[in-house]
Amino acid sequence: MAGVLVWIETSEGKIRKVTREAASAGAKLAAAQNAPLCAVLFNGKDLLPELGNMGFSKVYTADGAAFEKYSGEAYADALAAAGEQCGADVFLTGATALGRDLSACLAAKLDAALAIDVTEIKYDAKPLSVVRPVYSGKLLADVELTAGKKVISLRPNVFPVTEKPAAAPEIIPLSTETAAIRAQVLKAIKAAEGVMDVAEATIIVSGGRGTGGAAGFKVIEDLARTLGGAVGASRVAVDEGWIEYSHQVGQTGKVVSPVLYIACGISGSTQHFAGMGTSKFIIAVNTDPDAPIMEKADFAIVGDLFKVVPVLKEELLKVVK
Amino acid sequence: MNVAVILQQVPDTEAVVKPNPAVPGGIVEEGVKFILNPYDEFAVEEALKITEKDGGEVVGVCIGPDRAENAIRMAMAMGMERAILISEPAALEADIVTQGAILAAALKTLSPRLILSGREMIDNQNDAAAAVVARKLGLPHVLAASKIEVTGDKAVVVRDIEGGSLEIETSLPAAISCQKGLNEPRYPTLIAIKRAKNKEIKKMTLAELGLTAAAPKSRVTALRLPQARAAGVKITGTPEEVTGKCLAWLSGTAKVI
Repeated sequence: MAGVLVWIETSEGKIRKVTREAASAGAKLAAAQNAPLCAVLFNGKDLLPELGNMGFSKVYTADGAAFEKYSGEAYADALAAAGEQCGADVFLTGATALGRDLSACLAAKLDAALAIDVTEIKYDAKPLSVVRPVYSGKLLADVELTAGKKVISLRPNVFPVTEKPAAAPEIIPLSTETAAIRAQVLKAIKAAEGVMDVAEATIIVSGGRGTGGAAGFKVIEDLARTLGGAVGASRVAVDEGWIEYSHQVGQTGKVVSPVLYIACGISGSTQHFAGMGTSKFIIAVNTDPDAPIMEKADFAIVGDLFKVVPVLKEELLKVVK
Repeated sequence: MNVAVILQQVPDTEAVVKPNPAVPGGIVEEGVKFILNPYDEFAVEEALKITEKDGGEVVGVCIGPDRAENAIRMAMAMGMERAILISEPAALEADIVTQGAILAAALKTLSPRLILSGREMIDNQNDAAAAVVARKLGLPHVLAASKIEVTGDKAVVVRDIEGGSLEIETSLPAAISCQKGLNEPRYPTLIAIKRAKNKEIKKMTLAELGLTAAAPKSRVTALRLPQARAAGVKITGTPEEVTGKCLAWLSGTAKVI
C-alpha cells in the first residue's frame, strides 16, 4: 500500500503558502502512484473547511496541549502514527525552519530516505527521484530515494498551487501517546511589527554595500513596503551591522525563490547568488555596469540606487493605487 | 562534562565546484581548497565558551576522507582537545540519515553533556544532522540556535524561525545546531595551531562502532550545473527614463504588476 501524507503547517492561524504548494505536489504524486493523499493538522479545527479544496481524502487531526507548541519529537510521532494508519510511504513538508526540523525527526524515526529543500520531484520515476540544490546552489543533485519510506521537504515558492474543488476529506482524530516533551517551546518572539520574512516572500528588495549604511536601507525598505515585499540584504550589509542577520540572503544566510528579486547596490558574488539564483525575475540596480549581478539580472539598471529607487517607488505607488 | 561538536570539511565558499563525471555524486577536487564548515566554527566557539565556564573538554566527531584532518586541526587550534574521524567509504557514501546514525554511535563513546553542530553543512546542505543524531540517541534537540544559555542540566535556547524566533528550554544532554550570530568564533594563535598538530585524532571504523554497512536509503545519481541564467537587458538613463522602462518591463515581460 502506498500513500502521500502532508504536514499542514500553520502560521498565526493560517495555512502556510508552502503547505498549499506541498499539497498540490502531493496530489500530483498521489495521482501518479494511484494512492491516497492525506494530511495531518495540529490544533487547527477552524482550518478544516479550507482543507476541502486541497484534494485530501483523509485529514488526521491531533489536538490538545501536547501539540499546542511545536515539538519535533511529538509532531514526528503523530505523523508516523498517521502514516501507519493511511499506509503512507511519502511524507511532505515545506522546507521552512520547522518543516526541515520535522522532516529530519520523522526520517530518523522511520529510518526513511530524507531529501531536504527539494526543487523538483520526478513524479513518475521508480524509485521516486528528486532534485535538490547542493554546494549552495552551485550544483543540482539528482537523488534517488531508495528506502521504503521517503521524507521530502519542498523549497517554498517553487511548486505551483493547483487547488480545485474536491470532495470533503474524512476527518480522523488521531489518538497518539506522546512522551514527555523535553525541548519545550517557552515562547515565540516575533520580529518587529510589519517586518516580513524573506523566506516565503514573493517579492524581495535587497540592499548591499551600495546602501552605504543603516540609513541607506531606508530607500530599500520604502520600495519593499510599496511592493508588499520583504527586505533582503547581502552578507556585507549584515557583517557591517547595517541590518539584522535574519535578512541575509546567500550561502551563509537564507535561500530564497521569490517571483521578483530586486538587488540594489549588490555586486552579486557567487555566495549571494547561491541564495537567490532561483528567483523567477531579477532586477539589479548598480553604478558598476560590469558588476557580476548585471550579467545575470533579467533587467539591469546602471545607476545610483539612491536616485533610481525613490523614483521607482513613486511611480510604482501610482500603479499600485 | 564534555561538549562534543560534529565537524564537516567542505569546499571553501569561494571555490568553483564542478561535477566529476568519473564519480557519480562527486566533484572535481583538484584546485579546490577545503575548509572547516563555516557554521561549525560557531559550534566549536560555543563549546569552548561552555567548557571554559563549567569545565570539561571539547571533543569532536567527523565523517570525512583523510583530508578532513585539516578541518579537525582547525577546530583543535581553536581549542578542541581530541576527535574521532570516520573515513570508511561506506560512511562517506552513506545518506544523511545513515550518517546521522554513524555520528550518533561515535558520539555515544564520548558521553557528552551537550552535542553541538553547525546549522548546516554547506556542501550537501544537510541541516538535519543534530536532529537525526538526537533521535538516534533518544535525546532532545534544538536547531538553528542564535543563543544558548546552559545552567546545570538545562539549556535555554533561542531558535530562529521565519519572522522571529522561539525560546526553547531543553533538558541536557541534548543536540543543538548553531546559527550565525550565536558568537564570534576566535582566531587561533600560532602557538595554538602548532599545539593542535599533536592532539589526538582517533580513526574509527564502522565495525569498531558496532555498526554494519546498511543499504543506502537514498543515492545521488548525478550532480549537474544548473542552467545558467541568460543575461537580460541592461539600460542606462535618467532615473525617470530607467523607471519608465522598468515599469514597462515589470508589467509587460515579468507581469508582476
